[in-house]
Amino acid sequence: MPGIIEVDDLVKEFRTFERREGLIGALTNLFHRDYRTVRAVDRITFVIKPGEMVGYIGPNGAGKSTTIKMLTGILVPTSGYIRASGYIPWKQRSEYTKTIGVVFGQRTQLWWDIAVVESFQLLRRIYGVSDSDYKARMKRFDEVLELGRYLHTPVRKLSLGERMRCDAAAALLHNPPVLFLDEPTIGLDIVAKENIRAFLKQVNQEFGTTILLTTHDLSDIEELCQRLMIIDHGRLLFDGRLEELKHRLWRESTIKVDFRDREQAQRFEALSLPHIKTEKLGELTYRLTFDREERSTADVIRQVVLNADVLDIAIEEQSIEEVVKRIYLGGVFEAAAR
Amino acid sequence: MGRYLSLLGHYFVQYAKVRLAYRGDFLISVATTLAATLFGITVVFLIFGRVKQLLGWTFYEILFLYGFSLLPMSLFSTISLNLYYFNETYIVQGKFDRVLLRPLHSLFQILFEQFRLESLSDTVLGLFLISVCAAKLNLPLGFVEWLFLGLAAVCGCIIYVAIFLMLTAVAFWMEDRVGIIPPVFNMLTFGRYPLDIYNGFVRFLLSWIVPFGFASFYPAAALLKGETYHFYGLITPLVAAVFLTLAILVWNRGVRNYSSTGS
Repeated sequence: MPGIIEVDDLVKEFRTFERREGLIGALTNLFHRDYRTVRAVDRITFVIKPGEMVGYIGPNGAGKSTTIKMLTGILVPTSGYIRASGYIPWKQRSEYTKTIGVVFGQRTQLWWDIAVVESFQLLRRIYGVSDSDYKARMKRFDEVLELGRYLHTPVRKLSLGERMRCDAAAALLHNPPVLFLDEPTIGLDIVAKENIRAFLKQVNQEFGTTILLTTHDLSDIEELCQRLMIIDHGRLLFDGRLEELKHRLWRESTIKVDFRDREQAQRFEALSLPHIKTEKLGELTYRLTFDREERSTADVIRQVVLNADVLDIAIEEQSIEEVVKRIYLGGVFEAAAR
Repeated sequence: MGRYLSLLGHYFVQYAKVRLAYRGDFLISVATTLAATLFGITVVFLIFGRVKQLLGWTFYEILFLYGFSLLPMSLFSTISLNLYYFNETYIVQGKFDRVLLRPLHSLFQILFEQFRLESLSDTVLGLFLISVCAAKLNLPLGFVEWLFLGLAAVCGCIIYVAIFLMLTAVAFWMEDRVGIIPPVFNMLTFGRYPLDIYNGFVRFLLSWIVPFGFASFYPAAALLKGETYHFYGLITPLVAAVFLTLAILVWNRGVRNYSSTGS
């Protein structure tokens, strides 16, 4: 099946210059600037199929927003190819923008001073949505997002959660086949987050909308996205299913052990079990880390309990955050490949 | 085109509703705008308290020029609000990204997303001054003359918009705050007095480089003095069209540059 978004060897470079400080520096800046080329997006390739929900994650400054800006037609790529819903985004901007919806979590696209419903009416006219379509969609959106209560409030008086709901609805008024969301759940409380997620799920199922979202909240990914892309330093590090990522990188287990007294602890220390990394957390508390492929958790516990008198054992769950943090810190994929 | 006009109407109504919702604030703005204009007119009175004529221009003629200059000026200030804050709101705060995401030309969105409604009070004052002066000068103003004045006012507004668009578009290339807008803004008022009171250089500048003369003096003078200024009055739409085309070209280039630098 052909992709609704096709990206091939995409590169974006920015030219920046170092600003000199102080008055003399500012004057020097006027006449001489040392330019530096920064590659924000470095040869990215991927295809997204219609109806997919894809999570796009990476640390700050990894190149996520730059990618989104190229995909939405705001930025022109330095090189490489993008085709989305049949258009070259930056070249055919006015036709293309009718086929996409965009939500920026940090910025509203609604008019600040006017009532929400008036913003919707303006958008309806800008996108040429018929009155009957508009009414039908609003009714549907209202069922999940419960917009009715604040439709007549000016946007500036809404809470962040309320505003995000309105922004999400606004981005979908013209029923675009593709929806981009840049950190849609940032700063929201748990209820508002759930609300937005439920809405995205519904839109995806009901209208077959293809969704690409960036986020720092990995539960967004766990709940919404079958597929995950990880970017760092402008490079695509991982592109695949969440389970695959877990399988490849989530192999490490950790247990925490408390020994009865110093003597027992020393007995344990003297053991020096193979393939287990030992870390002393307190006088009698140790953390043991090991690879599940090499030793099972049960085996490690047995070894410890047999040789020393143990007060307490806790198995520590490693969160997806930990996994991703390690990816961001670097070297993980290289290590996994070895 | 029809779609844009209808959208313009909706944008305007929306904004007017917001503005009128804060009645006190709006009325004060109207009052200060009128006060500022009346102060400007007082200067004309003061000058003519001492002299009967100014290089062949009588008091009522000057007042007529002044009155007409209020029309293009007020139209321009009604829609120029966003140009003035363009760098801060659209480039620095990044609001321009959103503009690019809508299937409407960026200029349309920038110009018509906010209106300075109170400036329209100057339009009323201008019409009043024109009528009074025309009566005093025995200048018959029929349908054709009013049509000409209306058209000239729109052309004048277009000339102002074009000049300030070009200056605003600089923001696409330079992050730094550019200081050329305020001085040019001050030049706006030069065009409301007879151009022959200035020296040749200023006259040339106001006619062909920054054609504020065409925005108000030439068309008004064409009605007042006939023959001498007919030619200038008639080519006003042409000047407006040329400068607007130039401005749109510069603007579009700026947008392209913005898209490739993202600054």
